[in-house]
Amino acid sequence: MKNLQIQRTNSSPSIDADWDSGIIRMQGDSYPENSFELFQPLIDWVDTYLREAKRPLLLDLELLYLNTSSIRAMMDIFDMLEEAHGQGQSVAARWSYDAANERVGQLADEFKEDCSFPFTIHDKNLS
Amino acid sequence: MSPVPPLEERIEALLRTAVGSEWHATLSELYDRYRTQERLLERITRISDLFQQAERDRGRSYAEKLERKVRQIEKIVRISDRYQSMLHDLNERLTNISTHDELTGLPNRRFMQEKLQYEIARMERHGTRFSIALADIDHFKRINDSAGHACGDAVLQQLAECLRSNLREYDSCARWGGEEFLLLFPDCDQEQAARLAERMRLAVRQLAPAQIPGSLYPTISLGVTEYSPSKGLDQALREADLALYRAKAEGRDRVVTYREEKAPDTPAGNTLP
Repeated sequence: MKNLQIQRTNSSPSIDADWDSGIIRMQGDSYPENSFELFQPLIDWVDTYLREAKRPLLLDLELLYLNTSSIRAMMDIFDMLEEAHGQGQSVAARWSYDAANERVGQLADEFKEDCSFPFTIHDKNLS
Repeated sequence: MSPVPPLEERIEALLRTAVGSEWHATLSELYDRYRTQERLLERITRISDLFQQAERDRGRSYAEKLERKVRQIEKIVRISDRYQSMLHDLNERLTNISTHDELTGLPNRRFMQEKLQYEIARMERHGTRFSIALADIDHFKRINDSAGHACGDAVLQQLAECLRSNLREYDSCARWGGEEFLLLFPDCDQEQAARLAERMRLAVRQLAPAQIPGSLYPTISLGVTEYSPSKGLDQALREADLALYRAKAEGRDRVVTYREEKAPDTPAGNTLP
């Protein structure tokens, strides 16, 4: 499986999924015109990785604003991670935010709510 | 009386006793057929029960799936609402930043210009009137030079607060330039506006020196004029500026109302420090 790289735009985040390291990085705002088009390749990539790689997966996020369909896509991805976690695979998420925008951290907390895999939320200026 | 044994036992007892008779073979055949039918019925019942159970499980898993979906949608809606309210607050903050002066918290020049346009439109629709006053801190450069810029900023903040707290409900005061403030008095002619401006001047004079760092006594000069559609906004602002210029020239710490016949031959748009 190849790496997945999508450039950041004004309305969509950068997505960088690296097969060898098992790290997915996402940064920026997400309110694309067609969220299915943006997220489906990522969802497919995560699905393939979880089935084939048999190695840990880390979701490294620095997302700011998400529109409703992006929220849904992210929840789908978290659900996939949750399922893999339930089957004993090693998965984790890390959500970094700027303390100046504390509410982004609170929103990350909402996402974390139903996840039982390791999910850390931290001020990026402190790391 | 002893209870009658079950039918099956009675038949089996009969079949054990009269072996060889004609009816024995017939009854035996009938009994075999009966037992086979009974086993078949049990099997059918068991299979049917299994199917029913499977259907029930399937229904339950649909209900669970549906419930999970509903929970997910509720969560999406909740998160989405929070993002929206975050954007709303951010928008409000940006609006405030773009319309207010950071140091004094007063409306800025852009905001005041909109406010003036609004007053002009109101005048055209409802035949109202309004006056303006341009206020300038006296010897502000001297305060800055002698006591430092931090002190100058503190004086600006304190004067701004003093002007704001002495406004009537519908009046506005904006930071117009460095140490200049523009006051807007809706529904006021020139004389009423001059009285309000005088109130501002006195309020500033009454600021206790202890409230000003370095025990300075700042004063303000004000130039007042009334707007009229025939002169237009630029001219009204020029008149306020000219009146302010005269207030400075006559010794500062005073209010001067613009008078056409007395218009001094000073360059328009200039203010004395």
